[in-house]
Amino acid sequence: MTLSASNAILLVGHPNVGKSVLFHRLTGAYVNVSNYPGTTVEVTRASARFDHQVALLDTPGVLALPSRSDDERATMRALLKESTRSLVQVGDAKNLRRTLTLTALLAELGVPMVLALNMHDEAAARGVTVDIAALGEELGMPVLATVATGGEGIGELTASLGQARAPQALLRYDAAIEDDIGQVSTWISRHAAHPHLAARGLAILYLGGDSEVADWLRETAGEQFAELAALRQAAASRAEGDLPTLLARERTEAADALAASVIQRAVKSSPLLSQRIGQYVVHPLWGIPILLGVLFAVYELVGVFGATTLVGLMEEDLFEGILNPAFTHFVTAAVDLPWLQELLVGQYGLWTMGMTYALALILPIVTTFFFAFGVLEDSGYLPRLTVIANRLFAMIGLNGRAVLPMVLGLGCVTMATLTTRILHSPRERLITIFLLALAIPCSAQLGVVLGMLGGVSFTAVLVWALAMVGVLLLAGFLAARLIPGRRIPLVTELPPMRLPILGNVLKKTGGRLKWYLIEVIPLFLLGTFIMYALDKTGALPAIIEAGEPLVTGWLGLPKEASAAFVMGFLRRDFGATGLFAMAHSLSPIQAVVGMITITLFIPCFASLMMMVKEQGAKTALLMVGLIVPFAFFIGGLFNIALRALWS
Amino acid sequence: MSAKHEARLPLAFIQPGSEVRLAALGDEIDPLQREQLTAYGLAENRPLRVLQQRPMTVILADEVELALEHAVARHIWVEKDVANA
Repeated sequence: MTLSASNAILLVGHPNVGKSVLFHRLTGAYVNVSNYPGTTVEVTRASARFDHQVALLDTPGVLALPSRSDDERATMRALLKESTRSLVQVGDAKNLRRTLTLTALLAELGVPMVLALNMHDEAAARGVTVDIAALGEELGMPVLATVATGGEGIGELTASLGQARAPQALLRYDAAIEDDIGQVSTWISRHAAHPHLAARGLAILYLGGDSEVADWLRETAGEQFAELAALRQAAASRAEGDLPTLLARERTEAADALAASVIQRAVKSSPLLSQRIGQYVVHPLWGIPILLGVLFAVYELVGVFGATTLVGLMEEDLFEGILNPAFTHFVTAAVDLPWLQELLVGQYGLWTMGMTYALALILPIVTTFFFAFGVLEDSGYLPRLTVIANRLFAMIGLNGRAVLPMVLGLGCVTMATLTTRILHSPRERLITIFLLALAIPCSAQLGVVLGMLGGVSFTAVLVWALAMVGVLLLAGFLAARLIPGRRIPLVTELPPMRLPILGNVLKKTGGRLKWYLIEVIPLFLLGTFIMYALDKTGALPAIIEAGEPLVTGWLGLPKEASAAFVMGFLRRDFGATGLFAMAHSLSPIQAVVGMITITLFIPCFASLMMMVKEQGAKTALLMVGLIVPFAFFIGGLFNIALRALWS
Repeated sequence: MSAKHEARLPLAFIQPGSEVRLAALGDEIDPLQREQLTAYGLAENRPLRVLQQRPMTVILADEVELALEHAVARHIWVEKDVANA
């Protein structure tokens, strides 16, 4: 569908105020919606339900403007690049001060706006009442109360979009600052006028140090930009303090004053149950047992129900019992060419290997993992996990926020690599992406590892797990000391604990599964085809022969295991599944060494592409160049150590 | 400083359960992180409720719960209301 480029409505607001749920209500499109800040890492676009010619854009949450973080820059880029018809600011009704601080800046852009005060049910539960009519009058634009999760106020919001108006300015800055704003906005009007955004708003953003606005002005004004830079320099030297801070402070004061005039607070008797639960979850004493309980529940769901019960039903009963014999029978009868028969249903057959691995072994495991992850993120548990994990992550130069991509990486490393954008510094992102690529197994691989080593002994699982944690901490410790820059202490918002909504969790699980299957099935089929081609051309036996000194000599595995490592180049879980398939011929030590090596082995092709996208080809290839020999090195060390200890 | 206020104290040293007012964000805090704190609503004179101090400082500002590492909370100066102490 082609959407009119001059007809976009942008949803903007702070993180975790319900923009993405509202976006879903208004478009029917679903983006990952989570009860933690930073879920929307890119702008998402869809046509509106109420008018298919209108494009709705869901922007990443902004903690504040002028933009500083990647999320904020992405939102500012959307404001600068889109031909915006109107803005819908989504705000948290229980935190009106913060909402209005952002309104104070957006109002200066001169774009028609509507303010949706979302989660007003949570505000009411806390005794906070906002005089919506008075606020609308003060701002001179439509203001509505919504509960996006329950669909309340959505009809009114849609109807109000036609009445969107550029709001009245919330404040006049200090006279000296106003003088500077006036000079800069006059210059912008003359030399770099924006087709939709007011020069005054751009001037305030530029003086506040917004790098996206500066880039846009530089690009538009060309060589004359030096004059504008000189104006800012002069304004900064005249200011009685840091100019961006002074501007932000005046907006905060104006927002405070307006909020105070329209809010009523009832006297609160005691904390809500959700607040009490939230406090227990990060309690120094109770937090750890609760974490262990959560991990146990996830293990029971994914490791036991998903990887054992569901995989058993799918692989043994459905595929090996019914589908594969039927499909093999059909192909043998219908296809005359022996090579084609073998390509479809042979040892490296597209159906018997590729589709069976993807659907029977992997699908049940990732489904249960994504469901568990969806419940945790919807409940508000994950941001609290950052608090509990902070001390551990401090050891590897990160802060607790990095636990979010790491946990998501246990589902899909590719998706998690993208999510590292929620981290605040390039250094944190680099270390986290490296550790994800090295030592975090995705749920498919985790399921295969647990399935295989669980069949050997609990000790085997424990050795593998300790090896992974040890490598993660060692590699993180070294990376934190080798990569320049300093660690940023954790400051994070803890959103309210909420009872997960089943429909929301199921939609989210479905969305992630779709993403995963679109990625996994073509790669599994391609991998199977490469294995088939290598086998038919005689290259596979040659590779197995060539890899023998490393695989047999150093790792102590049967030489056929080389085939699994060839498969692992495409996907680690594909390689792990290859080792799983030869489990009966491996000793306990070989099983542990094989799984340690393949877990540390290079990430899958899709996540390698994501690493290239996020860090550039040079850094991604450097990581792969470190990871592959490191995986074999550690695998070999464990081979030597385990043989010495166990024999 | 008003007579009814005690001396300024670092937020990290305040007992859980106490109500305090924010006095200042110390210069030791990274400028970007200071902007982040301001954006969360930590402005001068804003009332804060300290919920816990371990493993991190957790406060309630308006209706927003924030967790702060001690490295940051040590440089946030607060005043404790004598009436609420």
